[in-house]
Amino acid sequence: MKVMTCPLNGPRNISEFTYGGEFKQMPDPQTCSDAEWADYVFNSEDILGVVREWWMHNPSSYWFLVERHTGSDEILRTFDPKEVFNARVEFTAVTAKETAR
Amino acid sequence: MSRLPAPMGLLIDRNQPLDFSFDGKPYQGLAGDSIASALLANGRFLLSRSFKYHRPRGPLTMAGQDANTLVQLQSEPNVLADSHLLESGVQVTGQNFNGSLDNDNDAYLGKFSKFMPVGFYYRSFYKPKGAWKLWEPIIRKKAGLGVLDLKFQPEYYDKAYLFADLAVIGAGPAGLQAALTAANAGAKVLLIEQQPVLGGSLTYARFDLEGNRAQTLRRELVDAVEGHANIRVLKKATCNAWFTDNYLPVIQNKRMYKVRATQCLIASGSFDQPVIFRNNDLPGVMLTSAAQRLMKLYAVKPGKRAVVLTGNDDGYLAALDLHDQGVEVAALVDMRNNPADRALLLALERRGIVCHLGSTVFEALHEKGMRHVSGADIRKITGLGQVASSGLVLDCDLLCMSGGYMPVYQLLCQAGGKLAYDDQLAEFTLSGLPKNLTVAGSAHGYHALDNVLADAIHAAAEIVVALNLELTSKPLATRPEAQVNFPWPIFPHPKGKDFVDFDEDLQVRDIINATKIGYRDIQLVKRYSTVGMGPSQGRHSALPTARLVAACTQRGISETGVTTARPPFEAEKLAHVAGRAFDPYRQTPMHKRHMDAGAKMMPAGIWQRPAYYGKASERDACMQAEALHVRNKVGIIDVSTLGGLDVRGPDAAELLNRLYTFAFLKQPIGRSRYALMTNEHGVVIDDGVCARFGENHFYVTATTSGVDRIYQQMLKWNAQWRLNVDIANVTAAISAVNVAGPDSRKVLEKVCQDLDLSAEGFPYLGVRQGTVAGIKTRLLRVGFVGELGYEIHVPARHALKLWDALMQAGQAFDIRPFGVEAQRLLRLEKGHVIISQDTDGMTHPAEIDMGWAVSRTKPFFVGRRSVDILEAQPQKRKLVGFTLPRVSPRPLEGHLVLSGADISGNVTSCEYSQSLDKIIGLAYAAFDQSQPGQQIPIRVEDGVIVHATVVKLPFFDPENQRQEH
Amino acid sequence: MSSLNTESHIEPAPLQLGTLEQCTLVDLTELPRVGFRGQQSAEYLQARGFTLPDAPNRAVTQADGSHVARLSQTEYLILGSLQDRGERIADEQARWELDHSANYLLPREDSHAWLQLSGVCIAEVMAKLCGVDLRCAAFPPGAVAQTSAARINVIVINLGSKGQAAFQILFDRASLEYFKDAVLDAMAEFDGQVLEIEALQ
Repeated sequence: MKVMTCPLNGPRNISEFTYGGEFKQMPDPQTCSDAEWADYVFNSEDILGVVREWWMHNPSSYWFLVERHTGSDEILRTFDPKEVFNARVEFTAVTAKETAR
Repeated sequence: MSRLPAPMGLLIDRNQPLDFSFDGKPYQGLAGDSIASALLANGRFLLSRSFKYHRPRGPLTMAGQDANTLVQLQSEPNVLADSHLLESGVQVTGQNFNGSLDNDNDAYLGKFSKFMPVGFYYRSFYKPKGAWKLWEPIIRKKAGLGVLDLKFQPEYYDKAYLFADLAVIGAGPAGLQAALTAANAGAKVLLIEQQPVLGGSLTYARFDLEGNRAQTLRRELVDAVEGHANIRVLKKATCNAWFTDNYLPVIQNKRMYKVRATQCLIASGSFDQPVIFRNNDLPGVMLTSAAQRLMKLYAVKPGKRAVVLTGNDDGYLAALDLHDQGVEVAALVDMRNNPADRALLLALERRGIVCHLGSTVFEALHEKGMRHVSGADIRKITGLGQVASSGLVLDCDLLCMSGGYMPVYQLLCQAGGKLAYDDQLAEFTLSGLPKNLTVAGSAHGYHALDNVLADAIHAAAEIVVALNLELTSKPLATRPEAQVNFPWPIFPHPKGKDFVDFDEDLQVRDIINATKIGYRDIQLVKRYSTVGMGPSQGRHSALPTARLVAACTQRGISETGVTTARPPFEAEKLAHVAGRAFDPYRQTPMHKRHMDAGAKMMPAGIWQRPAYYGKASERDACMQAEALHVRNKVGIIDVSTLGGLDVRGPDAAELLNRLYTFAFLKQPIGRSRYALMTNEHGVVIDDGVCARFGENHFYVTATTSGVDRIYQQMLKWNAQWRLNVDIANVTAAISAVNVAGPDSRKVLEKVCQDLDLSAEGFPYLGVRQGTVAGIKTRLLRVGFVGELGYEIHVPARHALKLWDALMQAGQAFDIRPFGVEAQRLLRLEKGHVIISQDTDGMTHPAEIDMGWAVSRTKPFFVGRRSVDILEAQPQKRKLVGFTLPRVSPRPLEGHLVLSGADISGNVTSCEYSQSLDKIIGLAYAAFDQSQPGQQIPIRVEDGVIVHATVVKLPFFDPENQRQEH
Repeated sequence: MSSLNTESHIEPAPLQLGTLEQCTLVDLTELPRVGFRGQQSAEYLQARGFTLPDAPNRAVTQADGSHVARLSQTEYLILGSLQDRGERIADEQARWELDHSANYLLPREDSHAWLQLSGVCIAEVMAKLCGVDLRCAAFPPGAVAQTSAARINVIVINLGSKGQAAFQILFDRASLEYFKDAVLDAMAEFDGQVLEIEALQ
């Protein structure tokens, strides 16, 4: 069984974690096209290389981000989502904004 | 029969005789014997009959690595007699014979081998059509392996984790030396050994002319290892697989250890390889290592007169061992033209042992019945697999063979190691191991003892550095060493019986024929011929098969390769995998009360909930009576399993506004709202009630099975949105009951004094915090079952007190507990959907008539865009209510709704309603079938079609007067 | 859990000499405990006189025998002391009110059951349930592990001393019966005993 290092709890069996899907930017749901929205909702990049993913440590309900190589399945880095999401996200009536970089 | 004198017999205790029986005859062995060694000590070599041709078989390896020693114990079939410890009184029988082991009536099958080639079953017995049915029982009977004890009682097997800095697999010279080197540097080492004794080849093989080195070195290493504070030794333990990040299942007795090691060193050694010639499977023909094991481990003399056939110098050393123990060595036959070390030749000649160089055994000879080898036909080798037309016949009762070595590569290949064939060395080599996994010793291609030790120190040094420890041992250099593998130890005989795979009775021509039929790929050859599929899993057949397939297909052996090595390494019992499994369950604080009231429990997720109160045989009557009691009087149901989330903070309303479809920003304090959740696909995934207890405090309920997932999703969203809010899953912390029915207010009034419970003071959908039976509670007026009702939520530790107080207060009103089944009927009468029962992975809000619960005025909620897109398209299906007369066949959940010849939907809920005296249900139907009054055909059991009438929901009390008053 | 070992029931035993060494399970579920979470929880708890661990997954024992474990950057779990039967912690829970500060009470006494496992071989007992190395070298006193044991979520806190390990195990209250059985089964081979809470005072 694989071991993953949780940024909060340290190295743990992969069975302590839940996969939370590919990390992706939400397009502005109010202004994007149907096709863009469908692409966001249904399609995965499925690249050979380093991907960013959401994972959660089940016992502590802690979500974090992972950089993993899909070829070797090597986990290169795990980190707190605050590194990416550092400010409050607003949805306004006119435009929805994702401040995530 | 007497045993050899000490120091032979490392494993046995000569003072402890053990009586046992084999095939009904009494025998005596010694404590420490394996079943096979005890039998051989009594001159009993024939242990089993082969799988296909019922040929007599005896031990090949004496190390539990071949199928020849499979025997039957009273309660266990397929036991390896050469690795199973002898116990006093054990009754052993042979298996796979017709008549007796010694006189098998099916042995004639071997004569028909020409007519039973590989693929024979499939090609011969399937035509004409239906013929297989006739042949199958006959063939199955012939091909049986052992008898199961159907009265067997399950035993206690379990699992435990073990942690180590370094796990060393194999305690031969490499494993011992590496464990010691790493442990001296401070590493915590776990040393895993299959055999009951440490030392590996040091326990049986000979490494020098004098024959002292192995014993001296073993004592030295074992003493150091066993006395070392940093080394834990597991003997008789098998590492059965390698999984990612050095996760190793190690089986010892009735326990499976789940070893997690920072570093892993595989020092698994190598398998001695047989030579292929006619009758190489006769009892008395064995690997040289098997003969050495018999002498050194068990003090059993393997024969009186031996011929040793070898392709390396180790055969000479084995011949010396045999000679030293009083076995007459009739000849040493070396397939090579010269030994690497001439001194060995001289040593043999000095003892009067004749050496035939550049020669092989072409055929092992036997007397009638084939019960033992009686001689060897020795020929000069004239070419690759070719021999001279005549030779020399020698009498012998022991024929030892050593064709070379195959690394025990199974765990290494499971870890991603790649095998390549070195044509020069005629050996497979390994590369491409993952990080933190190392190989040393003969598995790494070192066979000379000094090189094995040097390699082990080298491997341990790398491990010590990787563990950030300081190395205390000096490295040793390895030196060039003699080749151990003879490149072509395969001598096909025109009359066959030149076995490549003993388990499956496969001869050279079987492999060749597979390639001729067109199976070039080694994987296909395996599946067609079954080579390597028997209990020994190719330990002795993989190398010759690779060589044969490569030669037949004019390819390199590297290119041909071997078949994939998969776990487990050796047969493991299901009990090891299944033993001591964990099945968590959850109970509410009122569990005991339910049991006392005669509840029939049902699972809800992992919760245990009362389905109804009464006997299973009276399920319908109990459930109907409970439902009616709620409609007419008052009932109480334990709803503690309902999910509960406390959402607190300045952004609490904002968070819920984004997560649920409804609008929550302006929700008044003291009121609840229905909360429907969609995912980003616009699919309905959960629902509940959102109760506002303060400006910055909401209490949200969620479905029993959905709450954990919903909670996690909330956290994930807020990891991105960073709203100022705290989300707490209080499902287990807050227990709840629902008191429902016309008399529910009266019951509550008796135990709640600090709230105005009147219809005006505490209206439908109102929420309050108040004291019930002296307990601080949250009260929610809800209408799930369609009656006046109060959900009372309390801290779990007070829930039992609440339940008892309500039952006490309700006595005057004939309060009765009701179960999940009655609740489901009551809500069905009200047309309330249960998410995930009445919805599926495609359901969007409009399909379940929940458009009203979706706010169009707010800028965003999860799934909003998808819901918009879906609802702009023509609607395809709809969840409808339907009725059928009481006497109609009752549709079950999942039964299909038809539209012409097509399937348009399915039934999601259905039950007989006593209040309505009809069968009522919910079903998906095509949109054009969904108008009230339309008939929908439903296909019920046995293909019967019933025509149900679509009706407007709810079925019962359409004005909702009962729950709102 | 489908334990085949149905006869491994361990009856509560009176406290005896030498029991400190023996593998012992005590159900402390009746003892008060509470949690706080939020940006201002540390400030709040310090003002209430608690000494806080300086990193997540660490625990500190207070002068009065209660314990504070830090579960994340902003979350604390406080276990009541046997000395006052948890009275101080029960008071802390009672006096808290939801106001505008970011300090939210978590009802740990209701959400979690509490078992104490002590004695010489508790790391080996836990290794039959849990995939985290809880041997003293890897999991010294003051360490906290939020992990999975017997397939449910648990918080394990080592509040023993160097020579005398004692794990406080907190887990879903609704799973008390299930988990207790799993631990008792795991303890059986180590001659485990069950003591009542009274025995500890």
